[in-house]
Amino acid sequence: MAGALSPNTRPEWISQIDFERWQARRRWARAGIVYAVMLFFAVIFLGPLLFATISSLHTDPLAYPPTLAIPQLSPRNWAAAANLGQAGAGNRWWGGFAPGANVPFEITYFVPAGQEPEVPEVVVPRRRPGAGLGAVMVIDFAADYATVTPVEEVRREAGTFMVRGEVVEGLFVTYAFRILYPGSGPTIERLPLDLTVPVGQLYADSTLAVTRIERRGRVASFDNVAPGALGYVFNNYRRTFNEARSITTQESLFWLWTRNSFLVALARVITTLLFASMAGYALARLQFPGKNLIFVLILLAQMIPGQVIFISNYLVLRDGIWGLSSLWGQPTLLNSLAGVILSGLVGAGAVFIMKQFFESIPREVEEAAMIDGASQWRRYWNVVLPMARPALGALTILTFQGAWNEFFWPLVVLTTPEDIKTLPIGLLTFRNVYGGAGDWGLILAGAVLSAIPILILFVVFQKYFLEGVSYGGGKE
Amino acid sequence: MKRQEWMAAYLFLTPFLVSLFIFFLYATVRAVYFSFTDYNLFDAPRFVGLQNYINLFREENFLLALRNSLFFAAIVTTVQTFLALVMASVLNQRIRGLNFFRAAYYMPSVTSSVVITLIFLWMYQRQGLFNYLATQLQVYAPLLLTFFAILIVVQIVQVAYERSRKLPASWFDPALLVVSFLVALAGTWLLSFSGVVAARDIPPVDFIWLQTRREIPDGAPWFLRVAIPLIAIMIQNIFTTIPTFMLMFLAALQDVPKSHYEAASIDGATPVQQFFYITVPSVQPVTFLVVTLGLIGTLQMFDQVAIFGDAVPLRSVITLAYFVYNRMFPGAQAPEVGFAAAAAMFLALLTLVVVLIQRRFIRSEAV
Repeated sequence: MAGALSPNTRPEWISQIDFERWQARRRWARAGIVYAVMLFFAVIFLGPLLFATISSLHTDPLAYPPTLAIPQLSPRNWAAAANLGQAGAGNRWWGGFAPGANVPFEITYFVPAGQEPEVPEVVVPRRRPGAGLGAVMVIDFAADYATVTPVEEVRREAGTFMVRGEVVEGLFVTYAFRILYPGSGPTIERLPLDLTVPVGQLYADSTLAVTRIERRGRVASFDNVAPGALGYVFNNYRRTFNEARSITTQESLFWLWTRNSFLVALARVITTLLFASMAGYALARLQFPGKNLIFVLILLAQMIPGQVIFISNYLVLRDGIWGLSSLWGQPTLLNSLAGVILSGLVGAGAVFIMKQFFESIPREVEEAAMIDGASQWRRYWNVVLPMARPALGALTILTFQGAWNEFFWPLVVLTTPEDIKTLPIGLLTFRNVYGGAGDWGLILAGAVLSAIPILILFVVFQKYFLEGVSYGGGKE
Repeated sequence: MKRQEWMAAYLFLTPFLVSLFIFFLYATVRAVYFSFTDYNLFDAPRFVGLQNYINLFREENFLLALRNSLFFAAIVTTVQTFLALVMASVLNQRIRGLNFFRAAYYMPSVTSSVVITLIFLWMYQRQGLFNYLATQLQVYAPLLLTFFAILIVVQIVQVAYERSRKLPASWFDPALLVVSFLVALAGTWLLSFSGVVAARDIPPVDFIWLQTRREIPDGAPWFLRVAIPLIAIMIQNIFTTIPTFMLMFLAALQDVPKSHYEAASIDGATPVQQFFYITVPSVQPVTFLVVTLGLIGTLQMFDQVAIFGDAVPLRSVITLAYFVYNRMFPGAQAPEVGFAAAAAMFLALLTLVVVLIQRRFIRSEAV
């Protein structure tokens, strides 16, 4: 019975107009469903990235339950952070605690009926900004320079508050105080603050949202009460750059890793473009003995796993390519960017792509040049190469992406010191140093930052990436 | 003239050939040689015949790595190929905005494995997103079940009504599905508002993804078990690879004439039947390619193991690729270069077998 019914053929007992209307309705609904499904896939595939990006702003990305409504995204906190930054160091954007600072702060507690409100004890603690790499740095503590004015009660209002799912009657009491930086001294990046009250007195609100509540609600702890707007929102990002520093030069490690990654990727792109197009041209256009053998090697090279060749390559780099690198004063190429660059001058896959492309250019374009008696090099450089722009474009993007994301080989070559690493293995350092301590804000911030160049490339040169898939598909 | 062309060709090829000979050919030959010696970086290599290869199979970690790699390759390749094809066939529509969505899906594939792995590692923490979502699913299970029950009942009623009016409605009629969806939404809202069904109050799920030695299925012998942390890596890998393969399938599907599907639907084939009888056979060459690329990629999986690192017990996630690396750079002990090389050759052999099988299939296709 069901088999006899088809939505595409009009049964004779229905008029043409009714049937067309019926079909149109189905088409619209179908489009709606397809869009809904596409949206669902988008949530699945982009969700983790977006969620990680938003959580990378959070002081503690492991806070449970996970939420998108984090204090760093609230405009009220931005404004408060900017004002506090202005008061702390005259810097609305990045804040700080500088001589002459006069930071006003208010905090409101809820006191259940029957309990007497008590003035909180205010302390500027000696707290290091983070575990791991940050701990080795010598820093100044705000605690050594700050003076807190006496805490005064400024307001008292009756009201109700939710306590463990129950509405409780009581008082909201607001206290105010100022943190001063008398005399002279260094400008300090952070001004942490701890406020302690008796059990039962509950934190309700404050000038800037509280960072965390500790000791069963008794301590309201702030990482920085003079952060400035950007310093507040992008605290983890600032930490990414500032906290981990080279032991020898004190330069920011994350910055060094980024620079190294750019250098390696740039060198890889240049050498690949030049050498792959030269080799591809010879393989596509010229006749010479041994051509087939080279071609077989290219296919084989794409199949052999990196784990086979890295053993020998490691030893070759260790000995400076048979002492060659001693010529420019490097006895070994391990732990040097030159090693990574020299061992990856041009990949077999890139040669293959260029060969395929040159074969698609008709031979006639070269014939005019051949008659003019132009040399082989001129025919390649002046005639064929300019025509290869689309292929070179795709190769640039794919090579850059490959070099930027490469993990295994740099992990083998670049081990010490931290200064020499590229971003992916640098991030592994972050993960090892901070992951154990549960300090995920900085790891996520680093991950997001390291993905940005590739995402920009992707958005701008999307076409090449999507074509790259078909290049991969055309490997046969 | 001829001679000049040779010279020119080899000059053009020089940089590539030098790099190929040193870092590939010489490296491969040397790895083969090392695999028959007891080289340890410090003493001169001594020939030991097949001893390294025999020792591989006496080494517990190697057997675990072999088991993990094979399971990983088989499960990940199967699931990602199937899901990529399903996704591609759902998206195979001439519809405005498809290009935008295609690009969006591809995002996770362009970012580095380190970034994605770090994000997943974070989501797999005990207080992470995965456990939170599992909790939410259980909390709202009554509402979800109610929703789907109403959806199915309303759809059946509607289709039955249309058919009683002699309209050719199929069980998955999109227009009726939209109505059923809205009715189910309203119905669930009403029932939860009036308190008939309610979200459950259960404690947060505390599933341990990482720091666990648990392997499933529980009673099976060791070589048939898969460790929970490995499953975590599998999920991540499937997630990152689906978009790439989906795009390859999508390109292939756009060459399948629409008339095939129309003819099938005239014959009353359901979307599921169309998927298995039209879509699957017509993209078979791409499927072979996707399976091969998938197997090669998964057999050589390394990054995730290195990045998960001490967050998981090594034995539950160690793969062949990581085993090789681990023997070459064992930290405090002396490197076992020969042994590592033998394991690497084994991995290369596995890869080669996969490629050869695929070649054979492609050839028989062509005949």
